[in-house]
Amino acid sequence: MMKKITLLNLTAWLVILTSMGLQAQTPSDALMMEAKQACVLFDYNFSSFDHYWEGTLKRENQTIATVQRKVVMPMAAIGITDNLNFFIGVPYIQTNSTEPNGGKFAGASGFQDLTVAFKYRWLNKSFDHGQLTSLATVGFSTPITNYLSDYMPYSIGFGAPELSYRAILQYETKSSWYVRGAATYLWRGYTKAEREYYYNNGSYYTPWMDVPSGITAEAVIGKWLFDRSLQLELSYWNLSSLSGDDIRAYAAPQPTNKVDMDRIGLFAHYYIKSIQGLGIVAYHNRIINGRNAPEMNTTGLGITYFFNYLKK
Amino acid sequence: MKNLNIFTWAFLLFFLFSCEKELPTYYKYQGYEFASTDPSGGNWVPVLINSGDEIAIPAPDPVGSQQYQSELADLKFAMQNMTASEEEAVTYWTQNPIIRWNEIALELIAKYNLIPGPNEDGSYTLPNPANPAGPPAFPFANPPYAVRALAYLSVAQFDGLISAWHHKYAFNRAAPYIHDETIKPMYLDNILLSYPSDGAVIARSSRRILTGMFPLEAAYLAEKEAEHLKCLLLSGANVQSDIDAGITIGDAISDIALARASNDGMRNAQTPRAVSDSIAAAALDRFGWQWVNQEIPQRPVGLTPLYGKVRMWSVDNVEDTRPGPPPAIGSAEYEADVRILKNYAQNVTEERRRIANFWQDGIGTYTPPGHWNDIAKKFIVQYRLNPLRSARVFAYLNMAMMDGGISCWDAKYYYHYPRPIQTIDGFKTIAGTPNFPAYTSGHSVFSAAGAEVLAYIFPSEAVKVRAWAEEAALSRIYGGIHWTFDATVGTQQGKDVANYTILTAQNDGSD
Repeated sequence: MMKKITLLNLTAWLVILTSMGLQAQTPSDALMMEAKQACVLFDYNFSSFDHYWEGTLKRENQTIATVQRKVVMPMAAIGITDNLNFFIGVPYIQTNSTEPNGGKFAGASGFQDLTVAFKYRWLNKSFDHGQLTSLATVGFSTPITNYLSDYMPYSIGFGAPELSYRAILQYETKSSWYVRGAATYLWRGYTKAEREYYYNNGSYYTPWMDVPSGITAEAVIGKWLFDRSLQLELSYWNLSSLSGDDIRAYAAPQPTNKVDMDRIGLFAHYYIKSIQGLGIVAYHNRIINGRNAPEMNTTGLGITYFFNYLKK
Repeated sequence: MKNLNIFTWAFLLFFLFSCEKELPTYYKYQGYEFASTDPSGGNWVPVLINSGDEIAIPAPDPVGSQQYQSELADLKFAMQNMTASEEEAVTYWTQNPIIRWNEIALELIAKYNLIPGPNEDGSYTLPNPANPAGPPAFPFANPPYAVRALAYLSVAQFDGLISAWHHKYAFNRAAPYIHDETIKPMYLDNILLSYPSDGAVIARSSRRILTGMFPLEAAYLAEKEAEHLKCLLLSGANVQSDIDAGITIGDAISDIALARASNDGMRNAQTPRAVSDSIAAAALDRFGWQWVNQEIPQRPVGLTPLYGKVRMWSVDNVEDTRPGPPPAIGSAEYEADVRILKNYAQNVTEERRRIANFWQDGIGTYTPPGHWNDIAKKFIVQYRLNPLRSARVFAYLNMAMMDGGISCWDAKYYYHYPRPIQTIDGFKTIAGTPNFPAYTSGHSVFSAAGAEVLAYIFPSEAVKVRAWAEEAALSRIYGGIHWTFDATVGTQQGKDVANYTILTAQNDGSD
């Protein structure tokens, strides 16, 4: 029988919106694939917003009306050892404005960034009343197509390499409740615009834009139900950029913006007992506060399939 | 351990990507030896005044005088006590500070190039020079406003420097480091005559013109001027009386330039709705079509409908430069253009996207005229022009582009031709559609006019700059916001207008 150890907590893989760009995240859960085990995931999600924060001012803008994003994301996770997992994924994204809108801008579409990540569990200790786990993740992502980051809010990503360093701590009780905290440092590089001048609180005579690095913090409470066939989670997630400028009045955002946001989310993963290895995920999250960020809601659905890639 | 190796790898990657890129905020170039000194530059024909001697300055104290010797001593004292940040400032300003003031102008244009958004009730409030703080702040530095600011800046600098050159050779006072060999100048010994200071003419006239154009920046500009004037002393190029005489010229030419600006018709360019409606109705009557803004909520008035009536620099009657009419909506020629635009919209190639973005110079940027000033700046350094020659480049470049803009706006509101998003159902663009009629394309006219002036001054760059202007014109078609005839006719119109400017330039005595 397959072990009820999931490889992925899909909230981790949810595309996380940065500015108006989507960014596949590396896993932030506390669960591990065993050695020789692998999992593939096929995820679809839909996001939209009709308000956004221009600096700290929340506003709407009929030029863009409601902006919609659809994301299809295939990904895979592989257990190298019981304590070391590898992840890889790449989303395909499509954006557009609803009609009518005053801007008549074409949307954008294409493959975004390839993400690879390693997760290492360095602490896994049992106590009388529960289990304490701690993990570290390093991830790297980079654009694999030459999509234009400087086409906000329709650009499909921020167009720069990213390195992420994450620390995760989780405690799960014997009654299958768990709490988890994670903190991440995101180093983000430069994106190349298709113009040789831009304004970022002053003149810049270069096509290169500095995409602000950031830190994220996440808090999760969850529970396993029905003999560990259903996992439910409630999460809070925060992103704070470490530099950047504000969107200017009634102007388009640009990759140099300081993007901050608070997001809350619900997540469920159900393992179908009758079909070995198959699972379904569903999630919904909302950005509830931000700076230079869209007030965006995202709903997603996915299928997971676990298998042993080597005989045990 | 395997996992440790992975972390080491990640650590190395971090450093690999951590390499900070230098993102230049101004043009970095070395001080250079001027290609010419133009001793007869004081006899060139200025734009706003009749001749360089029209502005008077007092005769300087003799170099043997107590007064001059005491100024030399002050200069030496200031240089000996120069701080590291002052030294950096001297290096920044260089001996050709026209470049820096042009960059300051571009920065303010980009800062103020923000289109006011709608109010809660769907109305729009326009920037008001009587209440510059707004909101919205004054000005909205759109391309017509920007090119006008650049033209007045450059013309004042040019005329002021002709006057400075006149007095330099009339009074013949050698630079401080020639009188006193213990003074080691920070700049090359390009300018041997220091009274009046050419740098001070540039500092004062630039500060005054830009303050007139960007009133909210008065304090920032005063700070820049003070730093620049200090650097003239610290560089060893000028004593205080050289600087004071330069300031006198800078003030005089600024008064003249700002007086022209206040009466050039710009204040009436942004019309009330009734005037704007009657202009549109006249076009509908005449041609059977009219441009209509497509934004939500709709903007009631297009951008500066009467900019076509602003006083031109080198053209007496704007209608002399007005092109013939565009194809009628629904005509075979029009339908052919619809097919071309739809094809581009459906097949956005990487090259067309790059061109559309490279020349877009839209909201929040330095505008197309700013882009051509940026291009001109690099030629000025490449060809090692002195400040007088540099001012001449910017003056004719911006006069031609402003005349081009006026001619273009005359055509835009005379023909009042719709944008592609207005007449093609469901059409989408990759560039922002501006708030004014399509025919002719402003980018095309600005670029062709600018390129022609640069081709005249830098003949070996002619092929290159003309190709750039053609590309800038094409970029608007690729962006989906202009018809092909907006661009081709606009390019011709820009060349035509530039010829008036070039005729002026050919007769200014500099060749």
